Amino acid sequence: MKRISRRILSALLAAAVSLGTFFPPPTAFAARDVAGELRKERGRLLEMKEREEKTALELTEALRKEKRSKGRVGELQALLARQRSLLSRIDRKVSALNDRLDRAEKAVRELEAAHGKARTDLQRAEVVAFTGQRAGDPWYPSARERERRFMRVYLAADAEGVARITRDRERKEEELSGLERQVAVTERKRTREKRVGDTLLSRQEEERRRLADIGREKARTEKELKTLRARIARMESVVSRVERQVKERERRARKSAGAGPSAREPAEAPRRFASLSGGLSAPLAGKVVTHFGRQHDTTFDVTIENRGVEIEAPSGASVKSVGQGEVAFAGAVSGFGNVLIVQHGGGLFSVYGRLESFLVKQGEAVKKGTVVGSLPGSPSGKSVLYLELRAGGTAIDPTSAIPLDR
Amino acid sequence: MSERPSLWWIEWRLSRGSLVRESIGRFLFFCLLGFALLSLLLSGGVDRFLADRYAITAVLRAEVPSAEAEGLARKVAALPPVRSAAYRDPEAAWKEFLRAYPGLDPLRGAVGNPMPGYIEIRIRPDRLTGADVDLVASALRSVSHVELVLSGEEWLPRLLRAGRLASWACWGIFGAFLAGFFVVARLQERARAVALAGDFAFLAERGVPAGRLALLRAASSAVSGFLLAAAGTAAGGGALFLSLRTFPLLEGVIGPPSDLLLPRTVAAAALFSLGAALLSAAASLLGWRTARSVRK
Repeated sequence: MKRISRRILSALLAAAVSLGTFFPPPTAFAARDVAGELRKERGRLLEMKEREEKTALELTEALRKEKRSKGRVGELQALLARQRSLLSRIDRKVSALNDRLDRAEKAVRELEAAHGKARTDLQRAEVVAFTGQRAGDPWYPSARERERRFMRVYLAADAEGVARITRDRERKEEELSGLERQVAVTERKRTREKRVGDTLLSRQEEERRRLADIGREKARTEKELKTLRARIARMESVVSRVERQVKERERRARKSAGAGPSAREPAEAPRRFASLSGGLSAPLAGKVVTHFGRQHDTTFDVTIENRGVEIEAPSGASVKSVGQGEVAFAGAVSGFGNVLIVQHGGGLFSVYGRLESFLVKQGEAVKKGTVVGSLPGSPSGKSVLYLELRAGGTAIDPTSAIPLDR
Repeated sequence: MSERPSLWWIEWRLSRGSLVRESIGRFLFFCLLGFALLSLLLSGGVDRFLADRYAITAVLRAEVPSAEAEGLARKVAALPPVRSAAYRDPEAAWKEFLRAYPGLDPLRGAVGNPMPGYIEIRIRPDRLTGADVDLVASALRSVSHVELVLSGEEWLPRLLRAGRLASWACWGIFGAFLAGFFVVARLQERARAVALAGDFAFLAERGVPAGRLALLRAASSAVSGFLLAAAGTAAGGGALFLSLRTFPLLEGVIGPPSDLLLPRTVAAAALFSLGAALLSAAASLLGWRTARSVRK
């Protein structure tokens, strides 16, 4: 978004430069009648530019907030999904545990009943054995001896059965208490996770509300930006019209002065720069980090029209004039910081943006290589210079005219 | 040549009525004694009764298969003192247990059948002694399939002692009856000798020696005694046979009816008849002497 605003600013700047608003061209008297109009338009344009820049910044901020908020919503959704999955797993576990608990309780009840019955049976068998020892047929002592032996076997088996049931019951009771502990722990975990889920849900809801607010803000800002752009476009149209008028006047003035053609085809612009007295040189040693022309911004998924290039150089580096000329403008331009414009004559201009300080003044003649300013300092040790070349009101690729490190 | 009259049946000719009565009485008495004698011979006193109620139980281990248990029972049955050896499987043991303790029937569902199989060994009545029982029990204990041998070690000696006493008592009673027969027979002979004293004096006056008279009289008494005893024993044996056939329960106490025809039984009956003959002769001689002393 910042680049979009930069493009608009660049257009405005170019218009201003082309018109020679900031300096009196040789045909100043002929154009004096439109200069006032242009100054007014310039003022309005600057005002609109500031508003547009502010709106663009707001939109950028809104987009950033939206993106961040969406990210947070996405994270919260993922967290919520995980939370739901976890809760679902816990529910399933609780359900399974409850089933096991029911089964275990049933088994314990059955074992208790079996244990009671077995105890009763054992007691009854003991009574029967006791009375049987006294009764019985005394005429068959061997049979009685055998029956007593069998009774001992029976009682032992019965007692073993009771002991087994007792062990089973104790084991089942232990299992039951273990299950109950597990259920309690799982229930506590479920409650805790549910609380966490509720918190996440409320946070998500809150984030959604915030997102909705951001969306509304974004829509409002976009609408405002659109309106501003339309107005700027209209303004540019006006400026273009005025520019054509200025050019026409220049052409007439040159014609009356017997001068050569002033406007050449844009394709010849680099050659025109190259034909400047002394040629052109790089403003500083650095690497081009932003290229001229249409560039696709992946962050915002938009195509941006760059009118110049950005050269990355060490912080505080000196910026030199690319050619001989005269300082046409030195001042602050919103979005570009301190901007210096050098008029090289013949409709050729070089623009230096993002300067920290100027070492020349408006109207001062400069030669190729004259230090005109310096880049600001930066914690990272790197700063960027904005360089734009314009020929006949059209921006050209600086790398086509100046040897720059790409 | 004058024919000398036979003195063999002189009493029959002189005192027929009393002799018939005495003979009937003796026959009935011999029936009773024969019945008792054969019963005692077959039962061995109380030996058969005890042998019928006594058994050695060899409790088998739970994992012993039926086929092996039955094979073991056959081997045990081949031991000399053993009358029979029968394998009872756990199911039969359980049923026997329930017969003894009928109130435990519903409990089986809870504990299953904990009873082991066992072999019941019965000893021959004539081998029912402590030594023979120990022999069989120790033979069984040496078998790995046998978990426990129940041979009534605590109470068997007492039982055997009681059995011996009971047997002696039975034979004593029999002997007492025999002695009673002898006493009665002697009194009868004496009474008859007294009654026929005049006749015997007449014969003595005619040259018949008194000793010859007494001897012939005793001989005829022995013959009649033997015949009466044999007939009475046969009748008593028949009655015993019929009783055993009619009341099979008696077999457990006395023995099978087929044992009546065993040679040893027949020989014992013959000996008894001979003994009765001797007693009859002795009673006749003693009765004669007593009558002579009274007459003097």
